[in-house]
Amino acid sequence: MFRAKKFLKVAATFTAVVMAVTLVAACSGGGSSASGPLVIYSGRSEALIGDLLKTFTQETGIEVEVRYGDSGELAAQLLTEGSASPADVFFSQDAGALGALSQKNRFEVLPDNILSLVPERFRAANGEWVGVSGRVRVIAYDTNKVTNPPTTIDELLDPKWKGKIGFAPTNASWQSFVTALRVERGEQGADQWLREFAANNPRPYEKNSAVLDGIANGQIELGLVNHYYLYERKNAKGNETVAIANSYAKSGDVGGLVNVAGVGILDSTKKTEKAQQFVEFLLSPTAQNYFATKTFEFPLVSGIALGNPDLPNLTTLVGPNVDLSDLSSLAETQALLQKVGLLTK
Amino acid sequence: MSRLRAATGSVPPVLALVAVLGALLSIVPLLYLVIQATSDGLSNVATEIFDDATLALVGRSLLLCVVVTSLCAVIGTTAAFLCVRTNLPFRRILFVALALPLTMPSYVAAYAWVAERPNLAGFWGATLVLTSISFPFVMLPVAAAMRRLDSRHEEVGRSLGRTPVNLAFTLTLRQIRPSLTAGSLLVALYVLSDFGAVATMRYESFTWSIYGAYRAGFNPTRAATLSLLLVLIALAIVVGEEFARGRANLASVGSTTDRPPSTLDLHTWRWPTFAALLLVPIVALLLPILFIWQWFSEGASRNNNWSELFNAFGSTLWVAFLATAVTMLFAIPIALVAARIAKKWALATDRAVFVLHALPGLVVGLGVVAVGIRALPGLYQKIPMLIAAYVILYLSLAVGSIRASIERTPSSIDDAALSLGSSRLEVFRRITLPVAAPGILSGAALVFLTVAKELPATILLKPTGFETLATELWTRTTVFEFGAAAPYAIALILVAMIPTAFLSVRGWQ
Amino acid sequence: MSDALVLSNISKSFGSVRALDGISFSVPEQSIAVLMGPSGCGKTTALRCIAGFERPESGEIVSGEKVLSSESIFLRPEARHIGFVPQEGALFPHLTVGENIAFGLPKGRERNDRVAQVLALVELDGFEKRKPHELSGGQQQRVALARALAPRPAIVLMDEPFSALDAALRPEVCAQVTQALRAEKTTAIVVTHDRDEALSIADQLVVMLNGKVQCVGTPIEIYQQQHNDEVQALLGDAKVVRGQLQGESVTTEDGTYAVTNAQSNDGVVDVIIRKQPVSVYKPKTD
Repeated sequence: MFRAKKFLKVAATFTAVVMAVTLVAACSGGGSSASGPLVIYSGRSEALIGDLLKTFTQETGIEVEVRYGDSGELAAQLLTEGSASPADVFFSQDAGALGALSQKNRFEVLPDNILSLVPERFRAANGEWVGVSGRVRVIAYDTNKVTNPPTTIDELLDPKWKGKIGFAPTNASWQSFVTALRVERGEQGADQWLREFAANNPRPYEKNSAVLDGIANGQIELGLVNHYYLYERKNAKGNETVAIANSYAKSGDVGGLVNVAGVGILDSTKKTEKAQQFVEFLLSPTAQNYFATKTFEFPLVSGIALGNPDLPNLTTLVGPNVDLSDLSSLAETQALLQKVGLLTK
Repeated sequence: MSRLRAATGSVPPVLALVAVLGALLSIVPLLYLVIQATSDGLSNVATEIFDDATLALVGRSLLLCVVVTSLCAVIGTTAAFLCVRTNLPFRRILFVALALPLTMPSYVAAYAWVAERPNLAGFWGATLVLTSISFPFVMLPVAAAMRRLDSRHEEVGRSLGRTPVNLAFTLTLRQIRPSLTAGSLLVALYVLSDFGAVATMRYESFTWSIYGAYRAGFNPTRAATLSLLLVLIALAIVVGEEFARGRANLASVGSTTDRPPSTLDLHTWRWPTFAALLLVPIVALLLPILFIWQWFSEGASRNNNWSELFNAFGSTLWVAFLATAVTMLFAIPIALVAARIAKKWALATDRAVFVLHALPGLVVGLGVVAVGIRALPGLYQKIPMLIAAYVILYLSLAVGSIRASIERTPSSIDDAALSLGSSRLEVFRRITLPVAAPGILSGAALVFLTVAKELPATILLKPTGFETLATELWTRTTVFEFGAAAPYAIALILVAMIPTAFLSVRGWQ
Repeated sequence: MSDALVLSNISKSFGSVRALDGISFSVPEQSIAVLMGPSGCGKTTALRCIAGFERPESGEIVSGEKVLSSESIFLRPEARHIGFVPQEGALFPHLTVGENIAFGLPKGRERNDRVAQVLALVELDGFEKRKPHELSGGQQQRVALARALAPRPAIVLMDEPFSALDAALRPEVCAQVTQALRAEKTTAIVVTHDRDEALSIADQLVVMLNGKVQCVGTPIEIYQQQHNDEVQALLGDAKVVRGQLQGESVTTEDGTYAVTNAQSNDGVVDVIIRKQPVSVYKPKTD
């Protein structure tokens, strides 16, 4: 008891001193400021863009401060922070989170010289955000077992695929695809397709790369994934050993949705110029090459080489007629997936 | 109210003021929720709440809550009984091992399980994870209560013709009831607030939809409305616990003997029981750690930066220590007020703190973001505001533990000291604090280990570039670098082990 | 009168400490036996062996026809039908007085009658609904006795029943307890270190020292015997004389005294007169 008392006393004194010092030290102004580093909220991970940001600082001399997080949570945080937000730029993993902020008019309109670098279908119609890199939904298949892979999502409903399709129910890209399905076919059409898909007993996996593992070890024959997982796998295991290929959807089929990672400048920024420099950097050959080679994503700026010779040209991938800004209704998508039993148990 | 709680004790005005300040701090997120929920008008609130889907969610959450809490009550009480009251082999070591699952962050345990056994996903997976990491909330206070039991009561009971088994239910269980219900309350509120386990196990619960409303629906109004509904459910549970705790005064009549409670001889069942009980820490702790270790040694994605690990380790210890100290600063006066003053405002202070425990970290975090960035922009995403969020989240853990230890000492001790000429503040310093010291230290250990594991509020409020073990772990698991994540998971468990071991060892004294 | 309880050659050790070293004594039916001795003499251990809370290493305990404990037999406490009143009563704090007393009674209509009956016996009529913490120390002690008596045990054991009470209160509670025991015709074994207490309730005195029984007998017999110094110190200086009992006073050759234990009819009695220290004062000078 005595020792406990003494310990409490020492701990209490120590804390009092520390808190006093911290409070005094922390009494600087808040919000975005004209000086200081550029504050980036990033839904893309540090492992992916950390090196790229170092290059940016080296090239421009602009210091950056990055908060990494889940794109959706960062969007929620930005909405809650409002105009007092310290953030200057939001770099999102997908178009949905950008659309949500755009709806609340939280972005500055980007200048035309930036917007014009990217095809119209990969940026906001109101010019508030711009895509940086693209990814395509594909049907990966076992080349040993499947000779005629499906090229539309309706072919997946064929009973011959029963129990042979893999997907990742919690994956954001899968859910974006379902959102696009809802936008394109309406709630009823989407509901019907999902029910029939569920009736075909698709096999759930934790993540996209596990879907490819499932194909490799013979559990399944088809996998609904993004295009680049195949190239990552080939890169890691050697081209010849991977008996998997991507089937790209017929043009216009919703199964071939092209989604983007994109960036917007927050209206609360006091560093518009530096923020624009950052966006320009992401669309520069340096960064576009970086994404193409490191992630095998599609560069959105023309004239950049693809990361793998097997990749098709992005212009040949037409995808469904869906505005990416309309993909922000993720909550309704999740509700629908829950209803048909494809998300939760 | 029990006699002791009804007794008009005296609390120094300064401390009463700190207690009220602490309660007000707790209310910050509630305030935010009310403003946010009603921002589209009150009728909207009603439509959200009385939606069939919402009510179904309440049902699913309550089901999980009831099942996990009941399992924890049974496992926690049985484990406490076997370790404290029988001649089980290695019971002291086993007791510490049984407390250690408390160190597992729910998202880590859930990830470990679901990655190895994908079929577990769903209700039973969530139940497995939540039960295995939260039954010590019941076991620790119940074991302490069992050690305090007066052995003479059982002897009298047996001399009156009752068998030991009969007495375990009619006497022991009744006497440990306040500890049992207090522990179960923490479990119930924790289950309501948890997101990590239900998200990973894909069990659609209330928190799932609150998170969904924020980060998928970008609909803070719906999220706030659902959160308020969760607060109401929590309030019902807190009030329910007050009834279940019973109104009996359990301060023992007369002095107690030095004779330790008798131990039940398990005879030939000693080793089988030991083996059965050993399964609990194996399933709750060892298997998940083995799974994690396996990722590490497979090491496909191993590229570790040991200095980052070291920094995160230091940062975690640092914020956990600060948060614990500040939490204690508010928790001690609140516990004192709750234990000694039988007024409505004292009761409200106590309840406010507990209800908050049911709110998910993301909700409390966003509440602090919303209010903090406007009230104290200079402190936004600085350590003090992060600490404030921790205090709000975990004040209840500390208050519960301290209040129990103050309630066990009659307020007549204070009166005696006052009559000896001490000022009220002096009585607090020289009598109340030392008497409550064991409770304060246990509460501090609990807060420390929980803060070390906290993730959602930390991500929102940490200074940019400041990384704790939990955030580093998250960074690596989101990109599926399990090999790189493993050392952080293990370091986090190690950090949490120190206070947990302290809690369980302390329990023996 | 036959014996309610016989202890033969009971030994019990705790580690290297020999708490009971082959003790033997017997207690006649419907009598009150007092185990007296300084703390640590083994008297409480003896009581716990009789209750069944401790198992003796050797020897035999027999109650009536029933062997409670021997080399091969060890009857569990709940099967012995022996009431136990621990120090300070140890009432169950979460139960009312009535519930405490009913604890050892089978469920049924007679239960409440019996509770009221034993409460009346200890002069606490109508206390059923009270909680233990609302009672005084003496009342708690009497409720504890009532609780032990309720199932009509063959024997009641009491461990230092009056040690926590005010000195002023003791004789009264002592008398109430004795009266209740006699009214129930129960055999009782009371452990105490207090000589006054022992003499005022004992039919039979068992003096213990260092784990051994030093002497057994009625108080008169014991004070008439020669003892070694240690036992003598324990008993104190006293002499036994003839006297004439009338009501609550007794007349002897030394004078007339008030009686602390009125348990015999008027007439000729043996009287123990113990030497007590006296108080002296300086005389007032005018």
